[in-house]
Amino acid sequence: MKKLLVSAALVGALGTHLFAQQFSLGAKVPALSATSLQGSAVPINPQSSTATVLIFTSTRCPVSNAYNERMDALYKQFSGKGVQFVFLNANSNEPASEVAEHGKSHGLSYPVLKDEWNILADRFGARSTPEAYVLDRTGTLLYHGSVDDAQNPARIQNRPLQAAIEAVLAGKPVPVAETKAFGCTIKRVRKTT
Amino acid sequence: MRRRFLFTSLLGAAFLLSGAAPQTGKLPVLDETGYPQMLSGQKGKVLLVNFWATYCVPCRAEMPQLVKLQQSLKVRGFQLITISADEVEQEPQAAQFLQKNAVPAPFYRKQAKSDEKFINSIDPKWSGELPASFLYDKSGRKVKSYFGEVDLKQVEREITKLL
Repeated sequence: MKKLLVSAALVGALGTHLFAQQFSLGAKVPALSATSLQGSAVPINPQSSTATVLIFTSTRCPVSNAYNERMDALYKQFSGKGVQFVFLNANSNEPASEVAEHGKSHGLSYPVLKDEWNILADRFGARSTPEAYVLDRTGTLLYHGSVDDAQNPARIQNRPLQAAIEAVLAGKPVPVAETKAFGCTIKRVRKTT
Repeated sequence: MRRRFLFTSLLGAAFLLSGAAPQTGKLPVLDETGYPQMLSGQKGKVLLVNFWATYCVPCRAEMPQLVKLQQSLKVRGFQLITISADEVEQEPQAAQFLQKNAVPAPFYRKQAKSDEKFINSIDPKWSGELPASFLYDKSGRKVKSYFGEVDLKQVEREITKLL
């Protein structure tokens, strides 16, 4: 029965999603939903935290994996301080079981949700991993882009994601709203529309 | 001794001129300034600039087809240029991949001061995902951008229209 309800919710979301606009910087992001690795719907409500950080990740992308420790560190640093983290796997070729095993084998502190049918990836316009978004309590999208500016931690010069989180927590303008970095494409489900 | 040195030098030169990736495991680097210079040096040809990386599975999968495209269309004025987005630590693997797949020169490894500025200078709509290819006409104007996995038959059709 639970699987039927989740499937129905997904079908409904997919139907709505096909006609939904993509979020751009400054847009108000409503309450959303993703799927736990056990298959249940998980609500994502920006109004429940001062800041909401969504990061699209991958089990197989070496670039995403290069950031595992850094994402874990951010999660540990900011989780108890008014920030809700939502790690999402939108890759159609990475099943929930693989995501669960990946988290365990890499010792990740954070849970990862599945973005079935890459609904959220499409809404946010996420194209690669890792790719991060920061919302404030009103759901306004204030940051989109990379975790930092170097795959090799020894070469980091800027940490725009951390700067965005700190700015939102402090109620200040985000210093750099958008950044880009090389990464693996999100492996999307082919939808027929 | 002198004969051996001369032989090795000639062999090395022949290797480089043949277009095979250098066995030194090093690739020429390209940054934000070098990219437009590289393009202007190729004016008169239809260019497909392909960004790839050793960590990118679809990039590696499409490379043999791109090489075939180069082989069949080179005589008509087409040039494939590959740019590895690998970090310097993966340069030997990148060079090895190019060599194994007989990817012809010109090939480069990007070494930008700012990846973001580099990405935006090529196409502001590009988020940096790989693979990515950019098609330029004979005057050096970018006519098409391809992000992610693409239908290379369609790309070939677009290239042929410009030749």
